[in-house]
Amino acid sequence: MSFGKEILRLDNINKSFPAVKALDQVNLSVRAGEVRGLVGENGAGKSTLIKVVTGAYIKDSGKMIFEDKEVSRNSPIISKELGIYAVYQDVMVAQDLSVAENFFLGNQPKKGPFIDWGKMHRESKKFLEEIEVDIDVKRSIKELSAAEGKMITIAKALWQNPKLVIFDEPTAVLTRNETKILFRIIKNLRGKGSAIIYISHNLEEVFDTCDTVTVLKDGAVVGTYATEELGSVEKLIPLMVGRTIEEMYYKKEVAIGQELLRVENLSGSRFQNITINVKAGEILGIFGLVGAGRTDIARAIFGADKFDKGKIIVNGKEISIRKPKDSLKSGVGYLPEDRRNQGTFAQQDIEFNVNAINLDKVMKAGILNYKKAYEQTKEYVDKLSIKIGSVYQKVSDLSGGNQQKVVIARWLCRNPDVLIFDEPTAGIDVGTKAEIYRLFNEILNQGKGIILISSYLPELIGLSDRILVISNGMVAGEVKKKDFSEEYLLTLAMKNIVSKEKIREAV
Amino acid sequence: MKSNQRKAFAERNLLIILAVMAVYLTIATKGNFSSWDNITNLIRQSSINGVVAIGMTLIIITGGIDLSVGSIVGLSGMVYALLTSNRGDIQMTSSLAIILALGASALIGLANGVAVHKGKVPPFIATLGMMTLVRGIVMYSSSGRMISGLPMGFREFSVATMLGIPALAWTWIFLAIFMAFVLKYTMYGRNLYAIGSNIEAARLSGINIGSNLYKFYVTAGLFSGIAGLMLGTRMAAGVPTGGQGYELDAIASVVIGGASLSGGVGSIFGTALGALIIQTLRNGGNLLGVDPFIMQIIIGAIIILAVFFDQYLKGRKAG
Ligand SMILES: Nc1ncnc2c1ncn2[C@@H]1O[C@H](COP(=O)(O)OP(=O)(O)OP(=O)(O)O)[C@@H](O)[C@H]1O
Ligand SMILES: [Mg+2]
Repeated sequence: MSFGKEILRLDNINKSFPAVKALDQVNLSVRAGEVRGLVGENGAGKSTLIKVVTGAYIKDSGKMIFEDKEVSRNSPIISKELGIYAVYQDVMVAQDLSVAENFFLGNQPKKGPFIDWGKMHRESKKFLEEIEVDIDVKRSIKELSAAEGKMITIAKALWQNPKLVIFDEPTAVLTRNETKILFRIIKNLRGKGSAIIYISHNLEEVFDTCDTVTVLKDGAVVGTYATEELGSVEKLIPLMVGRTIEEMYYKKEVAIGQELLRVENLSGSRFQNITINVKAGEILGIFGLVGAGRTDIARAIFGADKFDKGKIIVNGKEISIRKPKDSLKSGVGYLPEDRRNQGTFAQQDIEFNVNAINLDKVMKAGILNYKKAYEQTKEYVDKLSIKIGSVYQKVSDLSGGNQQKVVIARWLCRNPDVLIFDEPTAGIDVGTKAEIYRLFNEILNQGKGIILISSYLPELIGLSDRILVISNGMVAGEVKKKDFSEEYLLTLAMKNIVSKEKIREAV
Repeated sequence: MKSNQRKAFAERNLLIILAVMAVYLTIATKGNFSSWDNITNLIRQSSINGVVAIGMTLIIITGGIDLSVGSIVGLSGMVYALLTSNRGDIQMTSSLAIILALGASALIGLANGVAVHKGKVPPFIATLGMMTLVRGIVMYSSSGRMISGLPMGFREFSVATMLGIPALAWTWIFLAIFMAFVLKYTMYGRNLYAIGSNIEAARLSGINIGSNLYKFYVTAGLFSGIAGLMLGTRMAAGVPTGGQGYELDAIASVVIGGASLSGGVGSIFGTALGALIIQTLRNGGNLLGVDPFIMQIIIGAIIILAVFFDQYLKGRKAG
């Protein structure tokens, strides 16, 4: 495939943080019309690299050349003027402004001295219709769901028509349909001659979308490959993690024991008559489209939200669960989906974060034993290969994926009888994914049970013993292992959705 | 950078600032500053604010603020004076009066906590209201007059020393070390930092937000109460305006000590250094004969600079 002229070139870029060398002599060249994948383990330096390009971080040394001109001074404002647009892993567009205002930010159409609201709304509405995004342009960003907000950030890329667009894990919060729109937008941008850098841990996605892919490892470039020549995801993994992964969804057969958790006729504002049970040694998968109510159900079982009626029975005893403390005590845990906002204590160190619910194991007579606390943390940091400088590093200094792992470590260490994992591997690199699946086996071997909520079907199908499908807040069916198939699960997931319109929205 | 290194880094900076100030003042005052008398005096003068600031540190770590501490200082001293004064109708034993004074202080703290957690009133507003309310109680109960005639032993405490160091200073030192230990080694301290850094994550970690917030506000009330008694021994009387404006020095000490007003960050040791820095400025200005109004300007500027410097360091780290 031939591309246009070189848009961005990086020569020997270095960037260090107090604890790590995040970028080590990085060279990169991206051309017009090229979609470049950027992959690597959590903490490999991907986000740091793009922040250097956008000027959010200042490089220690090296050259950045944009359209044949060296950019010696860079800042978010300068890079924007150059025509660089980034969709960050965590930052969004202006929260308080409406969708339309976000599109026109900085150059609102005027009618005399006044802003021409009519024109602004008309044009942005027309634009969103063209790319089939169905969001009211008058709503402010903070009223939108995380996925819709992300969608607007992405659509804005196309709107601004930049020369270089960078996407940092854009699909982590998107539904299938939105992901499809994203890919259309990328095609569109490529057609207009933009260069694109696309970061993702979903390697299939990278293969489908990108022309070329650059692998980063420990801050250094391993190499850049044409995806066509590479051929398959399996070829890419060893380059990223330095080893091959034999069997991704490895699951031992564990004898299924007695029932650990039983939920009967649970009803809340967004779900009705949910009945669930999990037995020792079993992974119960829960599938549903985004918005089907999976997270709501999990939060209700855990006591994070109130529910209207229903029974929760743990180890044969009915439990009254009104707050997370109750469920923790009776042996039910919940790893939240939004780990950044609901999981991490960002200003505190890793030891603090891992031990947040595990202090009882390292306290004696009410006094914390720091040596034990350190060892306990270290054990799980190693198990999940969390990339850190020291366990006394602040969690906010870790890469996005490593922050997530810290919260996962917290729950693995707690080791409750039943652990509900809500999208445990979103944003996690392949090597660690395989590692987490192995840890699932360890948990099951101890006679515990797992509820796995996941939108990633290969994972759900590969690991679950049974899959419960939730559709529109109700159980649409329970599928046995022998009947697992993507088509069947998707059909069930749409069972309770009546209108075509709704289906398109939810898929 | 390691976070405990980072914290130690901030505290080390404060120590250096304090040392530089001490050396400068010693030279400028031809040794007067570092005389034993002046140093013990300085620590004694810091001690009351120091104790109030310990409580303030807790509240600021939760992400809140407590403007009622000064009024509680006044309340505690006044309750004690009214209950023990030999000119009043009631004459209780000193220890019973102390318990009641501290009890009243704790109760006000609890009321703050309930208003903030149950009532969802922002801490700034809740404690602002409480500040006015409690001051009103103090004024009303004393008819706005000083209440003297306090027990001998109580008055003597302010001049008592141990190993040459004033008892008031020992009170502060002991309480600071105790609370530093509690924050580092107990559930109480862990819950404090957890709630302050991410209240939702804390709740999902099984931490009971309400009961913990009550505990923190009660503690803050108690520390103000203790400070009120310390002030009482120094004044040898219950003073209706006692403690007025103390909230400002306390907040300044905490902020100079490196705490963040958005919560989750702060330490007792840092706050103690902050309190010492403020008092050293006052004391030094005094010795050098600097106009007290000018001193006020300088202290104000330093509070702003301290926060600015902190933000600047943070910004540089990210860049
Ligand atoms: N502000 C910071 N302060 C200190 N260290 C940092 C900071 N930002 C990133 N790092 C470190 O730099 C390294 C690279 O982080 P980066 O965020 O670039 O990783 P990443 O490849 O984007 O990972 P992920 O897939 O988890 O998002 C990590 O070791 C991280 O801990
Ligand atoms: Mg990243």
